[in-house]
Amino acid sequence: MKKTVALALASTMLIASFVGCGKSEEKSGTTKAGGENSIFSGELEENVTIQVLENDTAISKGYFSQLIDAFNKEYEKYGITAVDANMDQYLDLANDGPYGYGPDVLYQANDVIMQYAQGKHILPLPVEQLDCYSQVPEAAWDAYKVDVDGQTYTCGVPVNVQCPMMYYRKDLLPEDWKENWDKDGNDTPDMVENWNDMYKFSVARHSEDSNKYGYMKSLYDVYFSSGFLFSYGGYIFGDNNTNPENIGFAAGDSKKGAWVLSQLATAMNEDCIDDTITTNAYSKLADGTYFATLSTPDTYTTFYDELVGNYEEEGLSEEDAKAKADEKLVMTALPKLPESGDLSDENPSFIDSKMMGGVNGYAISSYTKSPNACLAFVDFATKYEMIMLRNETLGISPAREDVAKEVGGLSQEMFANLEKGNIVLMPSIKEVGQIWTPGQTFFTDLAKDAFRAETEKKYKDLDSLQTGLEDMSQQIHDAIFTLE
Amino acid sequence: MTNRFKTLIKNFIESSWRVKLSAVLMGGAQISYGCIGKGLLFFLTEVAAVAYFVNRGISDIEGFFTLGTTKADAWTGTLGDNSVVMLLMGIFAWIVLGIFVAIYVTNLKDALAVEADVKSGKKPKSFLTELKELLDKKFYITVLVLPVIGVCIFNVLPIIFMILISFTNYGGSIVPPELVDWVGIDNFKKILTLSKFAPTFIRILGWNVLWAILSTTLNYFAGLGLALLLNKDCVKGKAFWRAFPVLAYAIPGFITLLAFKFMFSYGGPINEIIRMNGGTAIGFLDLDAKWSARIIGLIVNCWISVPSIMLLATGHLSNRDMSLYEAARIDGATPLQQFKKLTLPFMLFATTPVLLGQFIGNFNNFGIFYFLRGGLYLDGYFLASDTDLLINWLYNLSIDNNYYCIGAAISLIIFAITSVISLVVYVNSPSFKEEDTFQ
Repeated sequence: MKKTVALALASTMLIASFVGCGKSEEKSGTTKAGGENSIFSGELEENVTIQVLENDTAISKGYFSQLIDAFNKEYEKYGITAVDANMDQYLDLANDGPYGYGPDVLYQANDVIMQYAQGKHILPLPVEQLDCYSQVPEAAWDAYKVDVDGQTYTCGVPVNVQCPMMYYRKDLLPEDWKENWDKDGNDTPDMVENWNDMYKFSVARHSEDSNKYGYMKSLYDVYFSSGFLFSYGGYIFGDNNTNPENIGFAAGDSKKGAWVLSQLATAMNEDCIDDTITTNAYSKLADGTYFATLSTPDTYTTFYDELVGNYEEEGLSEEDAKAKADEKLVMTALPKLPESGDLSDENPSFIDSKMMGGVNGYAISSYTKSPNACLAFVDFATKYEMIMLRNETLGISPAREDVAKEVGGLSQEMFANLEKGNIVLMPSIKEVGQIWTPGQTFFTDLAKDAFRAETEKKYKDLDSLQTGLEDMSQQIHDAIFTLE
Repeated sequence: MTNRFKTLIKNFIESSWRVKLSAVLMGGAQISYGCIGKGLLFFLTEVAAVAYFVNRGISDIEGFFTLGTTKADAWTGTLGDNSVVMLLMGIFAWIVLGIFVAIYVTNLKDALAVEADVKSGKKPKSFLTELKELLDKKFYITVLVLPVIGVCIFNVLPIIFMILISFTNYGGSIVPPELVDWVGIDNFKKILTLSKFAPTFIRILGWNVLWAILSTTLNYFAGLGLALLLNKDCVKGKAFWRAFPVLAYAIPGFITLLAFKFMFSYGGPINEIIRMNGGTAIGFLDLDAKWSARIIGLIVNCWISVPSIMLLATGHLSNRDMSLYEAARIDGATPLQQFKKLTLPFMLFATTPVLLGQFIGNFNNFGIFYFLRGGLYLDGYFLASDTDLLINWLYNLSIDNNYYCIGAAISLIIFAITSVISLVVYVNSPSFKEEDTFQ
């Protein structure tokens, strides 16, 4: 009897063992054919919900709800619904996407989006099918191009351009500016047209009142400071920002850009060495301590609110304060630079200022179940009407030429700068993450040098600036390659 | 251990077919001797283990060695292998295998014990009796089994994972979907032989040891001093004064650090006061500020850590034998002598393990210099600054620069250093040598 029980148990175990066999096939082979054409068949997936990760400001200012309402109405007949993905801006698509988390459509800056392209976490898009294709300049499309397995793909759709802008207050101009600070008589003050006059004005303003400054900005910030290097031939990576072996911060005459920065630092105070003034620049411009500073277009409302508050404190009513701030706060393109790099040059010839910038846009996750519905959303969100609405609601500078022309002014100027190559787009390769700390260190050192005793100065001439830039490039190279 | 194993084998060879059946079908002997419940539990364990290994355990162990063979491609829908997940699941499979082997050996021992009972004429314990024992004589097993499993999964597994990462090429451009590979001790060789690496490592290690000693000593004596001060009868409103350090302790550390960073920055209030008094702003934390930044770091760390030491010391001080102090006073001992001969030995005895914890915590104090002075790579240092500790350098290399494998190798080295120091200090401390002194 006991032997029978033992035998029965042995048989049960044998059967049980085989029940577990037949491990599920994890490598499922191919479910989608390679290339965008086979993924985007044009047949809309019906009755689906697509999760869209949008910019926080677009959500808080109500643009996003208008966008999805309009889209959902248009695509109601297909049962396609776009909803807020309700996720943190700092998503990790590479790790979350394969497990079914993360948005279907994401709106981010080009350098963030393109980090996902090399690992194929976002889809290559048939951009030529989109309404916006012919309206967006080649430079903006280039920001979303990636070479994979010997082929070039476009993985994002540009929406708006971001780059540094100069903010200044008209009411802080000297009373005689039309006589003494408008040499070309074009009704625009010279100090916001070229850096030589800005430097001269900054020195004059500070010597009149030691608590006041002309131009003030932390040099620490690579995003704002590196444009001075680019203007004289510097660049980030070679081969159109795709070759990290070739680091170009010391290329061309970029040392002249570093010299310009070091001259500007002498007209500021020590606050330009670290980044603490970045947060109080708004109030310092509003209270008149600074005449001008650099920031991005999306901070306009913060400057504006501070200035309105300041005018109200001076006794104006809210309405008058707003009207005055509208008139007196100016956001404009960067002044021109002297070709020689010498800010004290009396007869300089000028060159355009270049600046580091970015293109924000839409991309589609490779892990979406509804690629065609997502593409329809991206197409809808980048149409003329929606980009115009985006500009009206958020004040962005559109990447579409027709909207930029229609809006005119600064948007058109930024669009022209992008086309002319004066906006150097942030590289779309992951190695860009290594430029910040070496860059911060160099620019901090450069700013600090303006306040060192003469005997302790490190950057006394162009050669020493060149050495500093080469050291910075070497650090970036080390960070990228030493441990590869 | 070997003798016990030999005895087990010998007993197994000499045992009956029933015990041998248990070697193939776990619980076989127990069932055949009438211990049905226990036998079935062993049997079901074997079934579950076999099912797990057939289902995925074997492929997980295989994956542990290969770390993947197919690269994922989201554009073609190829799911591919995720090397990091495979490594984790491989470690898990080894842990499951280890637990199964332990249960298997227990099963054989139990089968032999049951047979011995039967042979000696005793009736084997019933399942119910054994269950009752788990709540009585063997209660330690009942309460320990879940924590041990928890420790294996949430503690042992991540530690082994981190150790094993240091033997792979994970990091840089080798992150999923790229496949990771085993590289032996290449990462350790790199750290020791790379000409740019070694000088930075030595410099940072030197500063790190100095920092850990100074900050631990400073925090300890400042905390003890404050506790002694607030313990004095002459101090009025003790609870009120004690509340201030506790408030500093209650504020999250990183907020305190950011506040101090702002205070010492060029645009901060300290420089504002200096300027208002006609002075020139001082770069307390800028890139030329090696020693002033280090001293500020020590002071800020003191601000954050002293309250906890003060609270700890306050508790210990209340346990002192005050008659010793009275006797010392009668003998003419000065307050300093009383502190050196009575208070300090008592406190050191009671708090050496805490002191060691403080030392390790300070050795690996990431936040202080990350928040006060992060974002600088200085001359003479490879991707680090002169205030960075090894843990900050580790962060720069592994998180900022994605070299996870090098980061894991450095953390192993940090672990080796801190554990050797802790062990040496602890073994030579009164807490260990004179364990019975104050009991």
